Amino acid sequence: MSLLKNCNAYVIASMLLMGAGQILYGQWVKGLLYLALQVTGIIFFINYGAAMIAGFITLGTVEGNAWYGIDGDNSVTMLITGLFAIIILIMYFVLYVSNIKSAYESQKLAASGKKPQGIIEDIKELADKKLYKTVLLVPIIGVCIFSVLPIVFMILVAFTNFGGDTVPPALVDWTGFESFKRVLTLGTFAPTFIKIFGWNILWAVLATAFGYLGGLGLALLFNKKCVKGKVFWRAFPILAYAVPGFISLIGFRFMFAAGGPINQMIVNNGGDVILFLGLNSTWLSRGIGLLVNTWLTVPTSMLLATGILANMNKDTFEAAEIDGAGPVRQFVSLTLPFVLFATTPVLITNFMLNFNNFGIFFFLRGGFISEGYFLASDTDLLINWLFRLSIDNNYYSIGAVISLIIFLITSIVSLDVYLRSDAYKKEDIYR
Amino acid sequence: MKNHRVRKSIDAGITYFILLVVSLIFSFPVLWLLLASFSKTGSIYSFDGFFPAEYSLDSFRRLFTDTVLYNYPQWFKNTLFIAVLSSLIGTILVIMTAYTISRFRFRGRKMLMKITLVLGMFPSFMAMTAVYILMTHFNLINQHWGLVLIYSAAAPVGYMVQKGFFDTIPGSIDEAARIDGASSFTIFRKIIFPLSAPIIVYTGLTLFAWPWSDFILPRLLLKDRDLYTVAVGLMSLGDDEFARFSAGAMFIAIPIIILYFCLARFLISGLSSGAVKE
Repeated sequence: MSLLKNCNAYVIASMLLMGAGQILYGQWVKGLLYLALQVTGIIFFINYGAAMIAGFITLGTVEGNAWYGIDGDNSVTMLITGLFAIIILIMYFVLYVSNIKSAYESQKLAASGKKPQGIIEDIKELADKKLYKTVLLVPIIGVCIFSVLPIVFMILVAFTNFGGDTVPPALVDWTGFESFKRVLTLGTFAPTFIKIFGWNILWAVLATAFGYLGGLGLALLFNKKCVKGKVFWRAFPILAYAVPGFISLIGFRFMFAAGGPINQMIVNNGGDVILFLGLNSTWLSRGIGLLVNTWLTVPTSMLLATGILANMNKDTFEAAEIDGAGPVRQFVSLTLPFVLFATTPVLITNFMLNFNNFGIFFFLRGGFISEGYFLASDTDLLINWLFRLSIDNNYYSIGAVISLIIFLITSIVSLDVYLRSDAYKKEDIYR
Repeated sequence: MKNHRVRKSIDAGITYFILLVVSLIFSFPVLWLLLASFSKTGSIYSFDGFFPAEYSLDSFRRLFTDTVLYNYPQWFKNTLFIAVLSSLIGTILVIMTAYTISRFRFRGRKMLMKITLVLGMFPSFMAMTAVYILMTHFNLINQHWGLVLIYSAAAPVGYMVQKGFFDTIPGSIDEAARIDGASSFTIFRKIIFPLSAPIIVYTGLTLFAWPWSDFILPRLLLKDRDLYTVAVGLMSLGDDEFARFSAGAMFIAIPIIILYFCLARFLISGLSSGAVKE
């Protein structure tokens, strides 16, 4: 830490009081801004923040009772507001460090005989070399509040006894790994978990492959030189894309229903009614789910592949054609590597989306409970099971444990795939 | 030479045959719903195979006039409001995020990329309880702005596609502009932005389509029947209202279809072909 060794009195002033060093260096605007932020921060923590963090640790001490009119502590609210306060604390710390760093920058500039950077130059820098700071600020705050905070909340819930009878106004407590033990050892949860997990993996792989290859194939088909009226042909998948997913799903459900049009046609031709999505047709329903899902996902990946194909360098293809490469060779050596390069992240995202595809069997098949499953049907994916466990049946901490396990497995796998992919390792290759 | 031409026309023939089949597969279910919306009786069981037994415009009339229980016109307006705003804000955030991550090299960048990748993997509705409590605290229950906020704030996590796109725009364009004295912001505004029309349209469309089909979040946050979005509203229709359901469904698809046909050319044009020759 050369900063700590070499800093002068002005920088130390900034360490003690945010903005002090900047003001001493004559950077008034910046210094006053830091100072104002420190004052608001301290006021916030004295008035609310400290209590919020204390509540996070205790999760409430007074149990509410409507009979005696006692307004008790709401453990769940305390957990989440406590988290909120902690996030603000972290942001505050980042701000504090940036304050010291900026003072140190000014010290270095002053030492080499230059004037410390004024506010106008700062703003200019934020629009040019450090544009990323300006641009990323809003998304990062938004993501922190609406993605990180809820996710951390759910992770923490796995370590409490929240759920079942223990919901506010009852007090929730930290219980450590108690819920994990229940999931892994109790006969109710473990067998269902293993069965659903296996099907879930198979589903995600197949659904992703079908959708991706279908979309790429369609895009290439529309891109062929001999196809006239591309806009017209492309309009059909878009038509399917434009209809919101849940509507198509309900439509398909009606189509395959016992009294639906397909069965009516079968009966009219002298056949028996086929229960496509019935209680006992496990693999038939799974197959139909896969087909319907392909129908739903192909248009999106077609659009994406079209965008990426449009960005491809056409000269390379002309050169390849002159060198005598056929269409197959061109596809394998030129198109596929390029498209794969640009879409590896999408492939992973699609895999995750399919892995957590809540809608497909929820709408197609509704709420069966199959034999040998605890609160789940044989087509249910883990996400459907989680939904039933936590939203319908209040098993919050159990649900949180299961989603944590899924999360660990899937994130490790896809992080590994991503870090090995060319899209990550050689991201500069096409620049 | 003649042989070559024959092979070419056979190839074209097969191509068009596949095109026809594909078009049929994609349009049939939609056409079926369209037909169903013109059925006289609401229930699917009165259909003769795929076709309604009798046709009428009744379900459309009821969709827009019989608003006591199911206020469809209001749902439509609500959804349009939410979708337009969150698509607008979300697209700006996503494009800017993707651009900076693609073009700048700064400390913590790789870390940021890994974190967002991991974030996208968490089963999203598991966070719903937390989102609900948060929204109650911000006083955004029963508020359309609350949904806009969540949709646009969640959008930047999906910046990867757009980053992939920016990665394929040659960096030599940037460098040329920088030598001419342009700042990063100017480069983005004057050079990258016009080149990114296809990906901007793609982003805008997906973000626009999302609120139209999402039903978990609106059902969680909107309690008043008149504040519903179309998706939640249609879900609340009874089983015997199949015709009304499909009539309503057709009307959701219309804005998105119109949008596509207006913006189609952006999605198609090859952009790098004229920019820099290497």
